[in-house]
Amino acid sequence: MKRDAIVAIFFLLAFLFVSYAVTVKNVLGLGEAELRPLGEFYLSHSFAHEGLTSHSPEVVTAIVWNYRGFDTLFETFVFFLAIMGALSVLRLTEEQAKIVREIEGREPHRRMDIIVRATTKLVVIMIVSISASIALHGHITPGGGFQGGSAMAVAALLLFAAFSKFTLERKGLTLGHTMSAYAIGLALIMVTVLAPLFLYGGKILEINLLPGEMGLFNLDVGEYTAVTFGFLTVFLILGIPEWIFKNVLRREMND
Amino acid sequence: MIELHLIILAIVVSFGFVFSYLAMKEHDLLKALALSSVQSTFFALGFYILAAPDIVLAYLAIAVGAYTALIILAISKTERYEVGE
Repeated sequence: MKRDAIVAIFFLLAFLFVSYAVTVKNVLGLGEAELRPLGEFYLSHSFAHEGLTSHSPEVVTAIVWNYRGFDTLFETFVFFLAIMGALSVLRLTEEQAKIVREIEGREPHRRMDIIVRATTKLVVIMIVSISASIALHGHITPGGGFQGGSAMAVAALLLFAAFSKFTLERKGLTLGHTMSAYAIGLALIMVTVLAPLFLYGGKILEINLLPGEMGLFNLDVGEYTAVTFGFLTVFLILGIPEWIFKNVLRREMND
Repeated sequence: MIELHLIILAIVVSFGFVFSYLAMKEHDLLKALALSSVQSTFFALGFYILAAPDIVLAYLAIAVGAYTALIILAISKTERYEVGE
């Protein structure tokens, strides 16, 4: 343990030395680099109160105002690949899913005590409202569909931990339902992306043709739904205990 | 010359650094996971000081919530203690 502490302190000192050399002593010559005129323009105008401004407190949003949709589209692609990977590795056939449900139904349902459950209920309501505000405001303030959706997934996870997977499934959050909701989110994104092409004769994803801020708002809502239920799908599949999984696979091998 | 928020940034990132070192040295995987989420919290503060609030929102939810839960599920499918040679 003493040697660990020495190593840690040594690393910390090296880190501080490098940061000191780069920032104060300007070893790499970064400090003298002048800001380009374009960068200076964005930094001074993105949150200005008059003139050319996008009224965005966030410089990234100001720069990529029109490209935010692009950002969302690729986030969706990456997330889709991840979900499909998880589903194809951990998939179950209909009979296997039935066996899993049978075995899980015979298990005793363990829940946390009442203090944890009551607190979780309160916290979950707060997280859901905050995630909605992040996602539905995403086209104006920092945030967006992905951020809001992942916060919402955390709320679902808390329910998952404090109650049980079984409780969630009894309330209607079964695998089929979450996957359908995920598909609805993806469909909303696809419609928004393709609408300018068919309705206004523009290009794909030219969402500034849509009336008002509808384009970015629709993308945010679609992404919010897709990310929330995508995460939930993965957690519902991973939440099946390992010994049940092994049991099912062993039956498959015996057949 | 050096402004206050840069000093705070240095402190916060140093704490994150320390916690990531501790997480690497820990043999109890659940404890290592807790240490790693503390490190993520410090890094999220760092991102906030660097004026990237949208990264903070995604990073906190993913790194402290979803990532931790995924790794806990993964640990529940293997063993809790890392057995070294």
